[in-house]
Amino acid sequence: MGTEIGRRRFLQVAAGSAAAMGLPRGAGAQSPVRIGFTLSATGPYAVGAGITQRPNYDLWVEQVNAKGGLAVAGQGRRPIQLVDHDDRSEIETAVRLYEKMITDDKVDLLLPPWGTAMNFAVAPVANKHGYPLIGPTVGSLKLKELGLPYFYAVLAQPDAMMGSLAGFLKEVKRQQGLTKVAVIHVADLFGLEHQGALMPLLKEAGFEVVEAKSYPLGVKDLTDVLKGIKAKGAEIFVGLSYPPDTILAATQAKAVDFNPSIFYTAVGTAFPFFRDRFKAGAEGVMGVGAWNPKVAFPGAKAYFDAHVAKHKKEPDRWASAFAYATLQILEETVGRVGLDRARIKAHLDATEFSTVVGPIKFARGVNQATPGMVGQWQKGEFEVVWPPERATAKASVPKPKWE
Amino acid sequence: MTLALLLDVAAGGLLLGGLYALIAVGLNLQYGLMRVLNVAHGEFLMIGGYVTYVLHVHAGMDPLASLLVSGPVVFAAGVGVHAALYRRLLRQERTREELEANSLLISFGLLFILQNGALLLWSADLRGYQYLDRPLRVFGTVFPANRVVAFAMAAIVTALLLLFLRRTLVGAAVRALMQDPVGARLMGINVARVHALCFGLGAGLAAVSGSLLSMLFELTPFVGLPYTITALVVIILGGLGSVGGSLLGGLILGVVESLGVHFTAPDLRMVISYAVLALVLILRPYGLFNPAAHRPGQSVRA
Repeated sequence: MGTEIGRRRFLQVAAGSAAAMGLPRGAGAQSPVRIGFTLSATGPYAVGAGITQRPNYDLWVEQVNAKGGLAVAGQGRRPIQLVDHDDRSEIETAVRLYEKMITDDKVDLLLPPWGTAMNFAVAPVANKHGYPLIGPTVGSLKLKELGLPYFYAVLAQPDAMMGSLAGFLKEVKRQQGLTKVAVIHVADLFGLEHQGALMPLLKEAGFEVVEAKSYPLGVKDLTDVLKGIKAKGAEIFVGLSYPPDTILAATQAKAVDFNPSIFYTAVGTAFPFFRDRFKAGAEGVMGVGAWNPKVAFPGAKAYFDAHVAKHKKEPDRWASAFAYATLQILEETVGRVGLDRARIKAHLDATEFSTVVGPIKFARGVNQATPGMVGQWQKGEFEVVWPPERATAKASVPKPKWE
Repeated sequence: MTLALLLDVAAGGLLLGGLYALIAVGLNLQYGLMRVLNVAHGEFLMIGGYVTYVLHVHAGMDPLASLLVSGPVVFAAGVGVHAALYRRLLRQERTREELEANSLLISFGLLFILQNGALLLWSADLRGYQYLDRPLRVFGTVFPANRVVAFAMAAIVTALLLLFLRRTLVGAAVRALMQDPVGARLMGINVARVHALCFGLGAGLAAVSGSLLSMLFELTPFVGLPYTITALVVIILGGLGSVGGSLLGGLILGVVESLGVHFTAPDLRMVISYAVLALVLILRPYGLFNPAAHRPGQSVRA
């Protein structure tokens, strides 16, 4: 973390000396556009932040600066300078840092942190100061209830996402007669909200819920729970999980020989790490949301290739592309209306954007153009298998036994 | 709820408890002998895990064989840490309270340095590999094969440690120092050397546990601290300075946790371990297996 501190110190000194010389900040065409954010470099959120958000932020900044900088309406191109901090997966630290970046560092724009609970906490801060925040890793209906006009969410939210899962499961029930469902969820805002959205839908559709349990963030062991679920004969397993526990659930399900027809987990399933870790064992595992370079949206393949070229690793097959899409939206908006944040908001509200994840159109801060989706690992690619109009492959049920 | 499932869950807890015991024994060896409470114990475990990960994934070494590397390497590192950080402190000790407070500060510093060092080296990504993660059928129930292997290795290492403490001259010196530091000194035992050995052993045992755990769970630079806490619960359960007590304490905690989680929810795992700890502190403040007369430092069984 020495580097972050070093960078912060440098910025403070640089800003201080600029002020001392009487230079108004932001003067001159070449002064950088300063963009602030926190991401978890340490703690339980670090895995997701380091896969889904950070690489895309870095890729985008490199691409934009290579073009000569961010095009700002009326000012030409200005280089991007990042003001970033490690929030250590601590929500109160993130809130403090966002306050600091707004009031002390006086950054031009903000990018969001990783994860539902984090965004939930910092969104009111950004909103209070009139900073637009476009969150790529947020799934929360409660956030909508807070009524924050400056906050935008691009992912399908829990109602849409779980609605899509329930729709898929209903179809499977109709075709194959699977009815016994076990649902476990991480006791974090993400897990709580998705569980809250899913359970009534399952009941309504006539599924028999044989187990419903929560587990804490950073859980180390799920074997006891999985053994219990196996003993109750669950045919469908749904884990509303975060990356470390997504891996844990699959590892331990395999180790206790739990082979449901559908094995569905949430955040982390779409990570290439998941496929590389389980190799053939990943075949047939399903996950929340999906994106892959085969989708027919402009720039999708180019984005995938650029990510691989820069980071020597593939982007994850869900929120990575959405994270990149938020940056495309920001770039386009600043190019049209400049850095005036009220005008940025007006443009975000009024425009349909074309991105690597397809069209995005916000209504009251929530993207309405992307449906909830179900993905499935098939022969090394995370295919979109539901809904049919977005599918890149047909779903394969039942999942083969763990390899 | 069938009896078979209950036994199954309890046995699963026992397997994990074996690893808890091994982790706790290392910590107890350091504390029982030197009154040095090493809160960076879990970081040595984390390093052991990464040593195995690197050797297995990048050099193709069998994870079990890697124990022969991770144990000795981290043992040597432990001896080095002792020489660099603790030797002077132990020599200058005035009161036990002062020593405990200062050693605690040192080990907190060590914890942050090791954790952040690992973060720089390996980043926060999850690291893991597949090793024997297939089901093993024993007496009609199913266990993860890697857990059974890890438990067996933990049992073997613990047995070797007990043999060392009971049957060798150096082991006798360790026990003598635990029982009566002044008397042992008068008999000509080189205290600084035994201290260094025990600190190294504690670190080495943590590393071996870490290597075994890396077969079961994914690694991040932050895996250590929860195990330090578990180990603390175990050594208080079993009695400070009592190696045998740590063994039984570890097994008991494993089973109680597993059954507790099974009947309630995984959310409550920490609550269950702390409840056990609180109960023991109320009812048997010197540990389950320390007779009240044998307070730590006065007389300790090995």
